[in-house]
Amino acid sequence: MSDAITIEKLRYVRLGTADLKGATDFAARILGLQLVDKTDTAAYFRSDYRDHTLVYVDGLDAGQAIGFEVRDPDALAYAETVLGGAGFTTARGDAEACTIRKVRQFVSFRMAGGYDIELVVRPLESGWRYHGPRDAGITGLEAIALRGAPDASDQQVWTKLLGGKVSDWVGEAAYIRFDEAHHRIALHPSQEKGILSVEFGVEDVDLVMQNAYHLRGAQARIVDGPGRRTASQQLFLSVAGPDGVNFSYVAEGERLAAPRRARQFPRKRESFCTWGSDTQVPEYR
Amino acid sequence: MIKLADVSYVRLGTRDLEGATHFATEYLGLDVAERAKGSVYFKSDEREHTLCYFEGDPGDQVVCFEVEEQLHLDEAAAQLEALGHPVRRGTASEAALRKVHDFIAFRDPTGNPIELAWRPGYSGRRYHGARDAGITGFSHVGICSSDLARDEAFWTKVTNAQVSDRIGDAPLLRIDEVHHTIALFPSSKPGIQHINHQVETGDDIMRSHQFLKDRQVRMVFGPGRHPTSSAKFLYFEGPDGMVFEYSSGVREIADELLWRERQFMFEPKGFCKWGAKPDIVEFNK
Repeated sequence: MSDAITIEKLRYVRLGTADLKGATDFAARILGLQLVDKTDTAAYFRSDYRDHTLVYVDGLDAGQAIGFEVRDPDALAYAETVLGGAGFTTARGDAEACTIRKVRQFVSFRMAGGYDIELVVRPLESGWRYHGPRDAGITGLEAIALRGAPDASDQQVWTKLLGGKVSDWVGEAAYIRFDEAHHRIALHPSQEKGILSVEFGVEDVDLVMQNAYHLRGAQARIVDGPGRRTASQQLFLSVAGPDGVNFSYVAEGERLAAPRRARQFPRKRESFCTWGSDTQVPEYR
Repeated sequence: MIKLADVSYVRLGTRDLEGATHFATEYLGLDVAERAKGSVYFKSDEREHTLCYFEGDPGDQVVCFEVEEQLHLDEAAAQLEALGHPVRRGTASEAALRKVHDFIAFRDPTGNPIELAWRPGYSGRRYHGARDAGITGFSHVGICSSDLARDEAFWTKVTNAQVSDRIGDAPLLRIDEVHHTIALFPSSKPGIQHINHQVETGDDIMRSHQFLKDRQVRMVFGPGRHPTSSAKFLYFEGPDGMVFEYSSGVREIADELLWRERQFMFEPKGFCKWGAKPDIVEFNK
């Protein structure tokens, strides 16, 4: 076994926003997420059995962060050691920061792509299921697509330090898994920085298409799909959200019962969509 | 009672045989079975042909159903004549043009030309489309009706057709386990309202949507999913304004005793459960 950090689960996304009111409206009315908690400076949204999976925080200077769960305080301390050894500057969250994130402990560090990774212990669960303001059919936070270093040099942070496995490559873009899902992180080499898309699972093809028509009717800007991803076989649909972050609905897709070798797909549009759909996202061209 | 065993072919007149052939092969994805003087035959499945374009009036549109016994043609002719529908026996040369052994021709109460044929031709050469549209075969026709109740009574009392579901007063009629082989839609004049080909998967529907849209084919409805037959669909316009449909996943009604026809609304949501709105005259009030 390698000495990589063991990631248990993708937990949440925190996004700083220039317009908290507008972003809150987008998340609830357009996306169909359930607003579960609102403070003067943040809005928390539920998508599944977790307390929340998306937080909008007032002000762009709040940055962007992705939360991953690790097993226990020992695993967190081990992660600090591993990251420190690899030259990362880590920061322990104080009590207030933990309360805001609804976790017991966390450690954060900055990635080259301009977002923070937060490794958390005992994030809050909810006994109450997700019930959205409209029937968007959301099943949960499924994956995050990230903009990464143009030369893909940050890929090994995910594979060597954080214990991810590459499921497939499209050109230099990597789909990275942490569990049975084809990927939880998609890392796309880019000239830009930040989170590319936050992806929520929906029940099936009917929900992907119903959401497509709903979004068109609501005059939301669809930037990718509807389509089917060539590598993961996921159905997808992406819409432009606030502050340059896209949101996607995904359904179906490969589940890996056993490890398999990563496959290399050519960097062509056909490797991103088997339906031949158009995209406005440069990273998917 | 006339037992319709299957829908066999449609014959469509056109003033631009070359243009229609281009559409049928390059866009629709059919296979040329034979080019004859003044007509072109197209294959979509194991049958010798399921569509024939001929030089003539675009208003000249015929649909043919197969009967199992030659005797059935005589019985049908007698029954139709008794009901006041003049019947014409096809000549040997007309039968040869249709690649059938024997046939009769008549008009339904709206005035649609209908043919009943015995021993329509099959071919050993399998269908191989000009493009990979995933077509599995010619499956059903929409027929114009100037009086839906009268025409429903005609098809269900005179033939073995049974109502599977209704959208408003428009009946979807089955002659075997397939949800519908004939669909009647309101119109002031006779004609074929749409021609359906089944495709392998929902992916084929979506791929064709992109393919045809890229080539400026006019989309008139979908992609969508019928709440009646549960089939995913796409309707688009072909030569002379004819509407063609691809669909996939049509419901089969195996247990006749347990099936009760259902009433759907004659509104977009009665035609599509994804939220698509038809730009088809006969599907709108």
